[in-house]
Amino acid sequence: MSDYKNLDPLLHSQLRLAVMSLLLALKSAEFVFIKEKTGSTAGNLSVQLDKLAQAKYIDVKKSFKGKKPLTTCSITKKGVLAFENYVEVLKGYIEN
Amino acid sequence: MEESKLSNSESLQIITEMIGQAKRNMAKKGSFCFLLWGWVVLLGNFGFYIIAKYQLFPYPYVIWSITLPAIIVTVIYSMRQKQGSIARSQLDNIYMHLWMAILIAVVTVLIFMPKMNYSHNAVILLLAGLGTFVTGKLIKFNPLVIGGLALWIGAIIAFNVPVIDQYLVGGFAIIVGYLIPGYLLKRAESE
Repeated sequence: MSDYKNLDPLLHSQLRLAVMSLLLALKSAEFVFIKEKTGSTAGNLSVQLDKLAQAKYIDVKKSFKGKKPLTTCSITKKGVLAFENYVEVLKGYIEN
Repeated sequence: MEESKLSNSESLQIITEMIGQAKRNMAKKGSFCFLLWGWVVLLGNFGFYIIAKYQLFPYPYVIWSITLPAIIVTVIYSMRQKQGSIARSQLDNIYMHLWMAILIAVVTVLIFMPKMNYSHNAVILLLAGLGTFVTGKLIKFNPLVIGGLALWIGAIIAFNVPVIDQYLVGGFAIIVGYLIPGYLLKRAESE
């Protein structure tokens, strides 16, 4: 619990890690899908998606589905690398 | 999901759980196309065999016109699926491209069937077996893997029988290799 300092702080958070893990396995996912699968609130999810998008870990596209606004997220190459790095550091901690 | 500091094991648990969630969403509703094309090809094969064998009609190949409405239904269904999908996996894309590639190969085989001495049915069974086997492996659904093997066995038999009997072999191979796994997939999807 105390030795998480080398883990990417942006990923070392329950919801952001859940979003990244979900998007890693998908080409793209809509906001409602991520909200449902992570069990988060819309407000909290929006904030965390913004943080990930600002770091360019994910790509957020806003469009319309009929008359409803539609937010679609996908993981970027930078995001995949960051995630892989996070898992490597995590593995190091567990092996030690 | 609340924001809090994570332990290493909690991190691993989240990663595993979320990847599992994404996997469960993959390649659902694939049974519709298997069942639609299973029945169309089955009717085409048996229909052609009966008409040609018993000379009921001088142009037995007209039975294959049933594929036209099936193509339209498949295109409309795929477009609706794409629009209605709230998450699209890499696997969905691979799955779509695999079957598109097989369709192109099947159409090419059909165009050149006179050059193959009309043994096109055996080759089509080989291609259908390839698609079914790979789909089964991709979505980790063994009945489709076995179905693919059954279609390949059907192809081997078809290569060794007269052209007219290839339609009969094709029909039975489709039942074992396509329709039975298709119904099992449908049942698995609804569970």
